[in-house]
Amino acid sequence: MKLTFKDLRKKIYIFATEKTIGFTLISIFLGLVVGAIFLAAAGFNPFQAYGIILRGIFSKPSYISYTIVRATPLILTGLSVAFAFKTGLFNIGAEGQFIIGSVVATATGYFLHLPLLIHIPVVIISAVFAAGIWGGIAGYFKAKFGVHEVISTIMLNWIALYFQNFLIYTEGFQKPGGETSYSIQPTANMMILKTWKQSEAGREWLLQHPFWKDLLRTPLNWGFLIAVLMAILVWFILNKTALGYRLRAVGFNKFAAEYGGINVNKNMIISMFIAGGLAGLAGALQVVGVSHKVTLIAAMEGYGFDGIAVALIANSSAMGCILAGLLFGALKYGGAKIQPFMQAPSEVISIVIGSIVFFISIPKLIKVILSRKNKKGGSK
Amino acid sequence: MFKRIITIFVLVLFVMSVVSCGQVKKESGITVAMVTDVGGINDQSFNQSAWEGLKRAEKEFAIAVSYLESTQDADYSPNMETLLDAGNNLIWGIGFKMGDTIKEKALENPDQNYAIIDYAYGEETPANVVGVVFKEQEPSFLVGYIAGKMTTTNKVGFVGGMKFPLIEKFEFGFKAGVKLANPDAEIFAQYADSFTDAAKGKAIANQMYENGADIVYHASGGVGDGVIEAAKEQDKFAIGVDRDQNSLAPEHVITSAMKRVDNAIFNVAELLVKGEFPGGTTVVYGLKEGGVGIAPTSYKLVPADILEEVEELKAKVIAGEIIVPSTPDTFAEWMK
Amino acid sequence: MIETILSNLALIIGTTLMYSTPLIYTSLGGVLSENSGVINIGLEGMMVIGAFAGAAIGYFVGDPWIAFIGAGIAGGLFGLLHAFACVTFGANQVVSGIAVNFLGAGIALFLSRMFFEGATMTKSIALDNKMPRPLNGVFPDGSLLKIIFDNQYATVYLAFFMVLIIWFFMYKTKYGLRLRSVGEHPTAADTLGISVMRIRYFAVIMSGVFAGFGGAAMSLAIVSNFRPTLISGHGFIALAAMIFGKWKPQGALLACLLFGGAQGLAVFLGQFDFEISTQLISMLPYVITIVVLIGFVGKSAAPSADGIPYEKEHKY
Repeated sequence: MKLTFKDLRKKIYIFATEKTIGFTLISIFLGLVVGAIFLAAAGFNPFQAYGIILRGIFSKPSYISYTIVRATPLILTGLSVAFAFKTGLFNIGAEGQFIIGSVVATATGYFLHLPLLIHIPVVIISAVFAAGIWGGIAGYFKAKFGVHEVISTIMLNWIALYFQNFLIYTEGFQKPGGETSYSIQPTANMMILKTWKQSEAGREWLLQHPFWKDLLRTPLNWGFLIAVLMAILVWFILNKTALGYRLRAVGFNKFAAEYGGINVNKNMIISMFIAGGLAGLAGALQVVGVSHKVTLIAAMEGYGFDGIAVALIANSSAMGCILAGLLFGALKYGGAKIQPFMQAPSEVISIVIGSIVFFISIPKLIKVILSRKNKKGGSK
Repeated sequence: MFKRIITIFVLVLFVMSVVSCGQVKKESGITVAMVTDVGGINDQSFNQSAWEGLKRAEKEFAIAVSYLESTQDADYSPNMETLLDAGNNLIWGIGFKMGDTIKEKALENPDQNYAIIDYAYGEETPANVVGVVFKEQEPSFLVGYIAGKMTTTNKVGFVGGMKFPLIEKFEFGFKAGVKLANPDAEIFAQYADSFTDAAKGKAIANQMYENGADIVYHASGGVGDGVIEAAKEQDKFAIGVDRDQNSLAPEHVITSAMKRVDNAIFNVAELLVKGEFPGGTTVVYGLKEGGVGIAPTSYKLVPADILEEVEELKAKVIAGEIIVPSTPDTFAEWMK
Repeated sequence: MIETILSNLALIIGTTLMYSTPLIYTSLGGVLSENSGVINIGLEGMMVIGAFAGAAIGYFVGDPWIAFIGAGIAGGLFGLLHAFACVTFGANQVVSGIAVNFLGAGIALFLSRMFFEGATMTKSIALDNKMPRPLNGVFPDGSLLKIIFDNQYATVYLAFFMVLIIWFFMYKTKYGLRLRSVGEHPTAADTLGISVMRIRYFAVIMSGVFAGFGGAAMSLAIVSNFRPTLISGHGFIALAAMIFGKWKPQGALLACLLFGGAQGLAVFLGQFDFEISTQLISMLPYVITIVVLIGFVGKSAAPSADGIPYEKEHKY
């Protein structure tokens, strides 16, 4: 089939304006262009920079693994925010719910002594439950007292931060002489082959097998699979269950839903509980899969705020969160590499992400630009 | 058709990546790199100091240097790997937060040299790791002595970032120095629970000045910006930390308790170039080793006779006649 | 005894004023934007760019007022960006605001590295080149007024004045009425011949200007330099204060003062050797805010067209 330039332009137009994914891809491309302009203005070769980023993400199994590990919590906090969005709530509190999830996971992971196959589920479920309650509090305040969830979740973020620090200082939990908690028991660990790869035999074997050595030097763990399963579950709940229908109805039009016999207040609390649980799961997986402990934090780490951007890039679609989380994780992980390799400021990545989100917010602009060209081409 | 567009899109990106790049190797062929902690490269504190040390080593020994900033605790491990793949001869972790990561990486990569600031593994130091720790209590002790001598109100203050053993070394060293110089002096101590909230630092310092303190020492990162600002406004004195902070307020920062991370980094680089990398050991930098000290600009605001006394005191610490307390227990002991 | 209590109280008031000032400017920005019907969640990013611009211009030019205005312009440019997306192109306002947050932080740090030899921290401004302190040295030593006002910068008083101006503008002028009507019933306003577009552009740009002022009130008065962590969450707190204050300038002012006062209390309590951990004390401001909201403020409602892009019908 012959493809003329005119045809191509028309195809792009349809692709970009009628398909969400096409439009998202165009936005990502434009975001990268903006980043390139900034790099070029500062005297760096943007092609070189993006080359470094791309190779920094794909050129080794360990890089891909790191990207995935980096993306896992973002997918889940993204899901948390997206879920709340779908039900008409704005969850700025994923940050705090993440903190609660991680600190509870560390506590149950360290204090409980359980057999291998039971420990991890217990840790994760307790963390999800605690973070769910943390999120549910905001829902409850909104339902019962009419407190706007944006205020309560912002305040709860800071309360969670100090609460984690408070717990770390508790005797018996704080590792003596340090600013961290004790590490979780080996039975609660979800990092693949953690003990083996640090054992004598494991290191011997890995030295002989470079591919596996490269892959296993990363904190590779099952978290990503759980995140993907969660995305499927969220999609299922929202689209295929009565609960999901009610939640979306409340999100779509509160008053109509109430008129239709839906208990709006109850559904708001449930929605925030689930959103909190998802963000808490992100924190729990980060602990059991990667960090194994919690540290005193002086400022927000940004998992929740990045989650907002992930949810927005994904257009609040559960499946989209997987892709958006991966994109975000890749940009953050790969983007850091332009600093040591070409001394370019890695803040460019924030600019790229900001631009992508910005272009995503204005589908009309892209439509206008493309349609004007299309008309000039006379293809209409 | 859409596939084709995506293909083009991906192709364009890959074409971009063809342009190759490699790390510049300098004459000696040796490269050293460092991972900052979440404070970032311009933290006016040990990360910045570390980088200055590396830059100095770059000039002196013709080695190539680079750094990688971390924005979250979760960045340490991937950043270490990035620098490992870049083929560095030595990788530094700046800050105790990287303690576990460095050890893990060192065990996984026995041929790679690592070093870390503010962390000691003791007996368990892997053969390819150098731990560098500082006796922060010693310079704190000296500035405490200066504060104790210079206060006219008999009240001085200490603002800490967050309370954990490393910061307590500053606090108790300082208190010991004040008490030695001036047993009657009252010392206010308060922690901000933050390393970033400058407004809180200013509020705490204001409160101390209002309660009669005339000199406040801080060990609190960005919170200290507020402490020094309060000193400027109220025309009182402040004491800086980690680096010579006199430039932030030339007429109000009387001295600074310096932690010469730059010297430590420089020295280890020198040993590496000579082929004498002290792997498997912990290096302790105190006054004796020239790894800590008071700021060279101290002469501007501190009377010469006090500085002389400080020199004597310093000699005693170096000779081991004075052992400066660094924890609540050793401080209680000292007070007896 | 009473004297100590009073002087401590004066200290807490002083801290309150200092803490709330940047929040007041920024939440005023939020008030303007949201009353015209445009959600502005990008206040944080606008504050960051304002704080950077203020510190950088203050350092290079040396005049605090030029720096302050420069910070407002920098914030206003981001407001323009937000308005461009939200007003002209009917963007999802939350999405655009989040984008502004990323862009503000990214561009501020990027520019800092360009202008300050690769550093993300600007150089310190001398006391004389900072904002003036109008009441410095006016009150006698040891007086309570001196404790409160001696070291308050012009930005503090200006903030209160701005609240008055915005209140007057919104409720006593016809332009304010137009602004509010655009936020409540854009269609009705449109039929009356009010340009929804123009008013929203104005309001959103001004909200950027005020957020920029808020950032500069931090970097030109509370401290004298910019660093990446200087603005960490203040924009969001200001956003919360604006909602807390029921989208009204006077309400936002009270909310900011409450928050600042709680911080002052936390600093005051932190000086004693309590059995309670300092973390719990540091938590106080946030807990107090929620408690007050539950106990005394109750339901709040946004302007009814807040967040809804306006499109003229029969446009094509």
